[in-house]
Amino acid sequence: MKRDPLAGKIPVSLITGFLGSGKTTLITRLLRHPDMNRVAVVINEIGEIGIDNDLVKMSSENVSLLANGCLCCSVRTDLQETLRELFGERRAGQIPDFDRVIIETTGLADPAPVIQTLASDTMLGAHYRLDGVITLVDAANALTQLAEFPEPEHQIALADRIFLTKCDLSTEPAMAELTTAIALINPRADIRRCSQGEIDPSDLIGIGLTSARAGNDTLHFLGELKSRSVDDTPPAYLGQRLPARHDPAVKTLSLRFDAPFTWATFSAAMELVISLRGKDLLRVKGIVNVEGNPVVVQGVGHVFHPPLPLDRWPSADTGSRVVFITRNIDEASLRSLFQAVSLMQA
Amino acid sequence: MNTPEMMTPKNRAQQTMAHNMTLVGHHELDGFGGMGEGIAMQKTDDGRRILWMAHESAPKNFTGVDVTDPKSPRVIVQTELPHMKVRSNSLDVVGNLMVVANQTKEVNMKPAGFNVYDISIPEQPKLISHFDCSGPYSRGVHAVWFVDGKTVHIASGAPDFQPHNAKDDQIYRIIDISNPAMPVETGRWWYPGTRVGDTTPPPPRLPEQFDTGFRAHNTNVFPQHPNRAYVGYIDGGAIVLDISKPSDIKMVSHWNHSPPFNGFTHTVLPLFERGLWVVSDECVQDDGKDWPKLVWMVDARSDANPVPISTFPAPPYDAFAKRGGRFGAHNLHENLPLPVSFQSETLIIGTFFNAGVRVYDTSNPYQVEEVAYFVPGTPRLAPAGAVQLNDVFVDDRKLVYTMDRFGGGLYILEMNL
Repeated sequence: MKRDPLAGKIPVSLITGFLGSGKTTLITRLLRHPDMNRVAVVINEIGEIGIDNDLVKMSSENVSLLANGCLCCSVRTDLQETLRELFGERRAGQIPDFDRVIIETTGLADPAPVIQTLASDTMLGAHYRLDGVITLVDAANALTQLAEFPEPEHQIALADRIFLTKCDLSTEPAMAELTTAIALINPRADIRRCSQGEIDPSDLIGIGLTSARAGNDTLHFLGELKSRSVDDTPPAYLGQRLPARHDPAVKTLSLRFDAPFTWATFSAAMELVISLRGKDLLRVKGIVNVEGNPVVVQGVGHVFHPPLPLDRWPSADTGSRVVFITRNIDEASLRSLFQAVSLMQA
Repeated sequence: MNTPEMMTPKNRAQQTMAHNMTLVGHHELDGFGGMGEGIAMQKTDDGRRILWMAHESAPKNFTGVDVTDPKSPRVIVQTELPHMKVRSNSLDVVGNLMVVANQTKEVNMKPAGFNVYDISIPEQPKLISHFDCSGPYSRGVHAVWFVDGKTVHIASGAPDFQPHNAKDDQIYRIIDISNPAMPVETGRWWYPGTRVGDTTPPPPRLPEQFDTGFRAHNTNVFPQHPNRAYVGYIDGGAIVLDISKPSDIKMVSHWNHSPPFNGFTHTVLPLFERGLWVVSDECVQDDGKDWPKLVWMVDARSDANPVPISTFPAPPYDAFAKRGGRFGAHNLHENLPLPVSFQSETLIIGTFFNAGVRVYDTSNPYQVEEVAYFVPGTPRLAPAGAVQLNDVFVDDRKLVYTMDRFGGGLYILEMNL
């Protein structure tokens, strides 16, 4: 039986959201949810959460156990160190075993470096895998925030799943506008609603690729099990009428290549994109036909996770499909770059 | 259910712990999931995979489970022992032939020996013969090794073997079953000085609390070196015998860590291509009382001078020693020279009672690394209060089959390696 390189890794979900998007409320409720047994939650500002009464016992300076079996871990030095310590203490049996990690990021932080950490830190990359980025969006204030600050747009661009919060303070037409604005930035994110921080832990997990064995999960990961197909253009008209957002810089580009690549060609093209426009490349995700074989690629910013060969194609479609979330890059120039590299390599 | 004590490692026995291993299937074996140290796979004539397991104690003898689809294991046969004072504990399978041990609780009881079964129709095992080892000083057979289809190597008493000390009752015996209906003994060896009548003086014993006897446990012979038997001789240490003449067996290697360690050498697994032995102890006392029970890497390039070069990193004492039952090394996957068996010179898999099943990468024999483990949460009604994984077998699909000593039954795991 062929090794499944993903199966042994601990999935990590990342919760982002701009200031005031309700992260603290959500985390506070999540920590007490009965289904949080065997989950480690890494929190930046533990003082705000107010869990003192729920703590069973402090195990070490920064890891605490709640009555429901959830481990609550505060970041002391940096996140890398915290994740390393968590793994080491778990392995040594010093803290209860956990099956997944949920990380809360600060509202002003760019989540990209956290994701890059999982890909670029050898120790962390060997034991953890990114499951997904969950972004909370304040339904009442997001449109204004999008116009005024760069972070919310970035957080939406990197999201796999988006929860609209504070829906009770918004109106249906405003939320429809917001949904369209989000889809313009990131049409592939799954948009859901959440009121008063009520969230089921199952909504935060099972987002990423869990196995190198192809199946429906793979198609779901590639965004191909939804009705929208890769080549559909995102809905556009409403967004163009949004206040102060006439031309969103961040866009999702879906490229399809029917001819197979060699790995050398694909990686050379990606390296060229990174060297020319690395800082405008927010996220890349897709399946590539490498000399007939399916390989999943994923990257955040200029950092790529190791390519993951699948055991077979997840569907009859054996074309390469790669989604790029970019800033100020247009599809034609991206495509011509790939063509140029292919010609050079040929 | 979590309690305040959960943060104390020893009180976390109910928690499943996993690293690089995924549970594929689990079967409690119909309420009789207390398993011994005999586990073997048959590939039937119609292509099914049947896993055969010996029970740890009466009333059940052995159970056959169809694991063709490891996600849904299915019991196809479960047999009874004739009475409550005998157990099977050990078995091996070659083709459609299965050998099952019988060990009695006391001497001078029957059946004490081994049975040979035809399992061509696995649902209906047919007894072909019984090899009797009963006698005034014998409890019969504790462990069998049967990999060539014609020879059974056993750790057993014999009707005519009188030990000085009752604890030294299991010797190494070779039984030819070329004709499965007529098993015949062709050779035997015992630790010099243990038999009444030996000219050698009896060996000095370990301190009373660790004295588990100078007797054979695993008696392994591999086709790579058919003239050698690799024997874990319990308090006698690791012994390699020249069996080229079964009627005149000679010791060629001997290494014993005890004293100062606490005895019970269980398995000697040779890694032929690398000139190494992997030697496992068996933990036989609860609550860490005989700790440390380890797995050792021994440089065996010189028959005359085996040298221990490292021990496998042991599971953490603080997390396991007091969580219930035994804690420490026991059985290894023994690279059975059979097409259904996983074989590796570097990846070693072993059971550690309440510390579960563990996988080690021995690529660097001086610095062995633990690369995976699975510790099932306490099985229902577990008397020890924690799982007690007893034996392990890995098939050619790289699936790991491990079983609990009391009640938990069979766990089927995938190594994410």
